[in-house]
Amino acid sequence: MSSVALGLGPGRSLPGPLAGAVRFLRSLASRPVGLVGFVGVVFFVLLAFVGPLLVPLQETSDVTAVYLTPSTAHPLGTDFRGRDVLNQIVWGGRDILAVAFLAATFSTIIAVALGAVAASIGGRVDTIIVGISDVFLTVPHLIVLIVVAAILRPTGFIALAVVLAGLQWSGLLRPVRAQVLSLREREYVEAARSLDLGLFHIIFREMLPNMRSYIVIHFILAMTGAIYAVTGIVFLGLVPISGQSWAIMLYFAQAQGAIFFRDSFWYILSPILAIALFQLSLVSLVSALEDIFNPRLRNG
Amino acid sequence: MNVLSVRDLSIDYLTSHGPVHAVRDVSFDIAAGETVAIIGESGSGKTTVAISLVRLSPRSARITNGEILYTNAGTTIDVRSLDEEELRRYRWNDCAMVFQAALSAFNPVITIWEQFLDTGRAHGMRDRHTVRERAGELLDLVHLDPRRVLASYPHELSGGMRQRVLIAMSLLLQPQVIILDEPTTALDILTQRSIIDLLRTLREKLGFAMIFISHDLSIAAELADRMITMYAGTVVERAPVRDLFYRPRHPYSVGLLRAVPRVSGALGAVSSIPGQPPDLRRLRPGCTYQPRCPFAVNECGDREPDLVPVDTPAHDARCIRWEAVAKSVGDTSVDTGTAVGG
Amino acid sequence: MTTTPADTKLAAQQFPFGGSARRARRMLGQTWGHPVARALIKALVTIYVATSITFLLIRLLPGSPVEIKIDELTKDGAMSYAEAAALASTLFSIDLSAPIHEQYISFLAATARGDLGHSFLSQGTTVSSIILAVLPWTLFSVGVGSLLSFSAGIFLGLLAAYRRNSVLDHVLSTGGSIISSVPNYLLALLIVLILGVQLRWVPMTQMRGSVTPGIQPGLSLAFIGDVFFHAALPISVYFLTTIGHWILSMKSATIGALDEDYVTVARARGLGESRIRTAYVGRNAVLPLVTQFAIHMGFIVGGAVLIEQIFVYQGVGLRLLTAVGQRDYPVMQGILLMTTIAVVVANLIADLLYSRLDPRIGRAGGATG
Repeated sequence: MSSVALGLGPGRSLPGPLAGAVRFLRSLASRPVGLVGFVGVVFFVLLAFVGPLLVPLQETSDVTAVYLTPSTAHPLGTDFRGRDVLNQIVWGGRDILAVAFLAATFSTIIAVALGAVAASIGGRVDTIIVGISDVFLTVPHLIVLIVVAAILRPTGFIALAVVLAGLQWSGLLRPVRAQVLSLREREYVEAARSLDLGLFHIIFREMLPNMRSYIVIHFILAMTGAIYAVTGIVFLGLVPISGQSWAIMLYFAQAQGAIFFRDSFWYILSPILAIALFQLSLVSLVSALEDIFNPRLRNG
Repeated sequence: MNVLSVRDLSIDYLTSHGPVHAVRDVSFDIAAGETVAIIGESGSGKTTVAISLVRLSPRSARITNGEILYTNAGTTIDVRSLDEEELRRYRWNDCAMVFQAALSAFNPVITIWEQFLDTGRAHGMRDRHTVRERAGELLDLVHLDPRRVLASYPHELSGGMRQRVLIAMSLLLQPQVIILDEPTTALDILTQRSIIDLLRTLREKLGFAMIFISHDLSIAAELADRMITMYAGTVVERAPVRDLFYRPRHPYSVGLLRAVPRVSGALGAVSSIPGQPPDLRRLRPGCTYQPRCPFAVNECGDREPDLVPVDTPAHDARCIRWEAVAKSVGDTSVDTGTAVGG
Repeated sequence: MTTTPADTKLAAQQFPFGGSARRARRMLGQTWGHPVARALIKALVTIYVATSITFLLIRLLPGSPVEIKIDELTKDGAMSYAEAAALASTLFSIDLSAPIHEQYISFLAATARGDLGHSFLSQGTTVSSIILAVLPWTLFSVGVGSLLSFSAGIFLGLLAAYRRNSVLDHVLSTGGSIISSVPNYLLALLIVLILGVQLRWVPMTQMRGSVTPGIQPGLSLAFIGDVFFHAALPISVYFLTTIGHWILSMKSATIGALDEDYVTVARARGLGESRIRTAYVGRNAVLPLVTQFAIHMGFIVGGAVLIEQIFVYQGVGLRLLTAVGQRDYPVMQGILLMTTIAVVVANLIADLLYSRLDPRIGRAGGATG
């Protein structure tokens, strides 16, 4: 048996990526919740990254048009400086999504690397890594984040994503480790080990490909956690990552007292709905993915 | 006198691909104090029948036809017609069931004593001391130290001990019938032995009737007075244990007997029956065993044979070729190498 | 992987250092094998690590608060570097002239004594006293909210599992997953926006603070009522944003437990449904949730910062934000430490509770045979 064949695992032929995508969409289509989630995620990603290319940012303030209620000119009304709310919604997703994506990527990498090492080596290394992750898990993340942000003042995306990932990996470690532990017992890993292919090879060529679905789920969950934390601290005004974001809209709404102004209802509701609906889409997608990848879990 | 009488019992499992006819027209009687073994491969419907006797079938199961008649002190009731509360009182008090999965039969978070107490209280044993005394006697009977075992949590007992505790508990309310569903399958060979011996002694002392479900003929034969062979959800042969063992008249029973490992024989002597049981969703007309049967002739495919008396009135087989089978196996040609008890 | 008693025994056999050493080793092994001891050690290690990280943050990182403070004090020439360093030392409770490892040790010792330094802003006020004034309010509101949501969640989850695929199940499951995926501070904003401002059902401004100013503290009905009146909004948010998780977890745990053999056997034993539901299904299903509860505590305490800011509830979260605004580093550091300890203690309680509830844990290395 060649190592290439081993890498695919038992009974898994490699379809073209397109065939895989079609199959994936087909299994999603039979799950309305998952489909809604998927459509929601696609919508928000398009809104955040393609939207700004189509709609120019409107920055001029208009003191004669503050806190306008929704109209055809301003479908979501205007803010405290008379700027169009819809325009800000379109522009306000990019940074949040980008930071969340980066933070989720970093924390997944850390968790998968440490989890795989812990489970593969075992013994004292395992005990120490799990212990560290437990400590990180216990500490209230948002408070650490606030204190760290107050001291280090991260201003760029990447700095913020790194700080976030430095805390978040702890939540992913145990599940990843458990998954690696169970994979370790599978025959193709056994085979690779008996061929003496080395730890690196076993982790990256045998285990990771078989954990793809699992990693995707945890990546999305990490994104929801990152979005919560990022929007949270931006809302508190602790890290202005840039001039436009849904969280900054909320910060201003709170700081300007717009929240207590009855006409500004849509102005405040819009970013709330944007964040909440995006989170909801991610969570629905995850529950459908879990269902697709591991149907036993739910029917049990 | 029969304590339990099953009449034309049929059970379907409802699946997304249509009903599975797991049990079809099963009838048998059990007299007081008698032991009947039901044997067959997995999927033959034997466990489905057993569980339906205490009405604990999974939600997807439907009893589509038949009666389960239970007689106690001259009164006969149909277990199918009992309501929830009557059913609750019937279970364990009249008919106890010792499950295959004795290892996980106990609630892991409460002590064995509490589980005895729960059982007693559910059936009106108000006084703790009565339950304690009776549990102590029964645990003594199954050769366990009551004080230690009652204070233990299930995980603190070995598999064999847990199976004995369950057997002891099944006797708590002196039921007339005890159903044992593969009670020794999960245990090692020595523990199996001691459980079988234990059951035989207990039956002699207490005189309950037993329904013994097994795929292992040699174990079943040691305890049973009569045996029932099930295949594809229906009874294919029923006979006193010696008749079935030495004079099987259904080709499937012959196959099962051949599959019994001989104590003296080499490994090669174990023969399992080639082929697969039929798809119980789409049964073809004719004998269900025909595709696997070495005795099959064309007529076997016409209609499903009836259960007809062969040799003696107490011996029935569902096979039109039983005479050919008889000629082929003769009288004692199926040498299992195992002593037949009972 | 944790050390089992068997491992320890093996180790003792491999290293026969004479009777006393072996006995000590065995004792250590038994202590580690004991779940309560293990939970305690875990808690202490976590607090130690959290303290060290705090030290690292304020002392070792470039641009650390200590240096910023010294810069501030020396900038306008009002103080010499030595004077400024001395003042900073008292403020942070750190002797800056000592070598770094001694600073670390004295920092640990001070923390162990409960000495968290002094606030920059209100001179002479200890950080401990500041935190002690606000922490109870946070622990109260978070604790009440979480416990209510946990109890209600397991009840509803059990119900949903028993009535699987009923309308009630669909409402609870769908509602639960929607409400648990909405970030808690957005829910708080929605409450302010809709109930407080648009509908004016809730008197937002009167509910601010942890108590009405001037009310006489005590065990009077009026005071307790006032405490709950002010905490009502934070408690509702903690309750609503976590209940979905408990409903869904309990539902799936219950469905799992219903499939267990011991439940079928309990039915065969003729036990009543209510006994089966509580002692057989419920008790086993709730076990894994107890450990999840501990992990949730850290998350909720963290989230309290946002919630307290929105409702202007004077807990530790709001105080942290004030400290951040004032760059009052000792207070920030103290809050970080104290909230961590609070969560560690909550974890510890959950661990102890778990070992009480699950005999398989509580009696490690129990009798078998």
